Amino acid sequence: MLKFKKFFKKKDLHYKKLHNKWSKKHAGIKERLYSNHQKSVKWLVKNIPAKEHIAMGSLSGLLLLTPPVVASLPAQPASPSSNLLDEVKKIPSGTFFALELSPLLPDEVRPLSVDEEKKIGDVLSKHYNMKVSAELEGKKLNRSYGLIGAEQHLMRYPGDTMQSHFQTPEEEIFARSGMAPGRGAWGYFAPSFSEMTQKDVEREKYYIAVQTFLSPGFMDNVREHYAFYKYRKMLVVNPHNGRAVVVVIGDAGPAAWTGKHLGGSPEVMSHLQRVDGRARGPVLYFFIDDPKDDIPLGPIDVI
Amino acid sequence: MKKQFYTHLIETDSILVKLHELGLSEEQKIQLLAIVESSLHHTVLDAILSELSEEDKELFFEHIEEDDHTKTWKFLNEKVDTIEEKIVKAAKDLTKELHDDIEDVKNNGNN
Repeated sequence: MLKFKKFFKKKDLHYKKLHNKWSKKHAGIKERLYSNHQKSVKWLVKNIPAKEHIAMGSLSGLLLLTPPVVASLPAQPASPSSNLLDEVKKIPSGTFFALELSPLLPDEVRPLSVDEEKKIGDVLSKHYNMKVSAELEGKKLNRSYGLIGAEQHLMRYPGDTMQSHFQTPEEEIFARSGMAPGRGAWGYFAPSFSEMTQKDVEREKYYIAVQTFLSPGFMDNVREHYAFYKYRKMLVVNPHNGRAVVVVIGDAGPAAWTGKHLGGSPEVMSHLQRVDGRARGPVLYFFIDDPKDDIPLGPIDVI
Repeated sequence: MKKQFYTHLIETDSILVKLHELGLSEEQKIQLLAIVESSLHHTVLDAILSELSEEDKELFFEHIEEDDHTKTWKFLNEKVDTIEEKIVKAAKDLTKELHDDIEDVKNNGNN
């Protein structure tokens, strides 16, 4: 009986090991194909409709980028009866974004050069369908690639509390982050509860804190920089998984000694899945050129 | 597996035999073979596309879409010297790797 059980355990172990090994190999083979023949695979997807439903995976969990390379694209469940072209067209959305972005990211999390910022900005602009850049109107932050850490909720108006902060039960999962004791760098989002608009709510929900005080030229003209950064729209991207959020600069910080370069609201951190054991990790953050304020705040997918 | 235009050049039975020798269940064998076949799909395709110009890659896709194997082979033979050999080599290289993986798992299965 014991021998019988041992046999079954061993064959399951064999299966698991092979499955794991071959899934990684399969992902690597697909990745190589997409990388070597990007143009023609894109043409294929665009011009030859699938005979089967194309399983386009959501952005979450599909990229698994490890800077500076795409470590692996997850193996798609292979169907033995698949049509050849349909099989090839099972490209997780964001694959091309990952392939373009990963070679541009440095190994370590460091300030990007002007050339790197330009190239990465172009890739982000193309895949998120908006104009983004590390420099806007002659202003730029101290960096555009840095470690993000978790921030607390901000008081939106005098008297705002954790009890009054959430509109739906779903949002209450963010209550455990608590509320910062003081106001944000720009003061309250609204003068009072009755005057608070949906825009104010969204701004607090999707805010980041950046080190405005370390940005070049800040001390030379504080007033001008203050006006530029206040609620400035930015795109924040977790390059490890492609998850991105359109946010505003809602606060200044964190202090340089923390080792972090920016902070994200509980909602931002949750969407980016940038919450490891130390509650921090690398993100790209670029200004969005949106003079007419057309681009809504919140999570966004690659196109 | 659906018969592809290159199916006659590819051999996966030996892998199936090896999987059988590991004592895997039918379901487990099917799962693993599906990964093998998809990997071969992509490997063969990569080998072919690497020999074609951008324009010819598109024509090649159109031929596959028509599912006319004779036409596909005629096209490939016109465009690439010894294309069959190239496909066989790419598939054999991968198959060898897969065999090695099975041996490796078999020999180190308890580690």
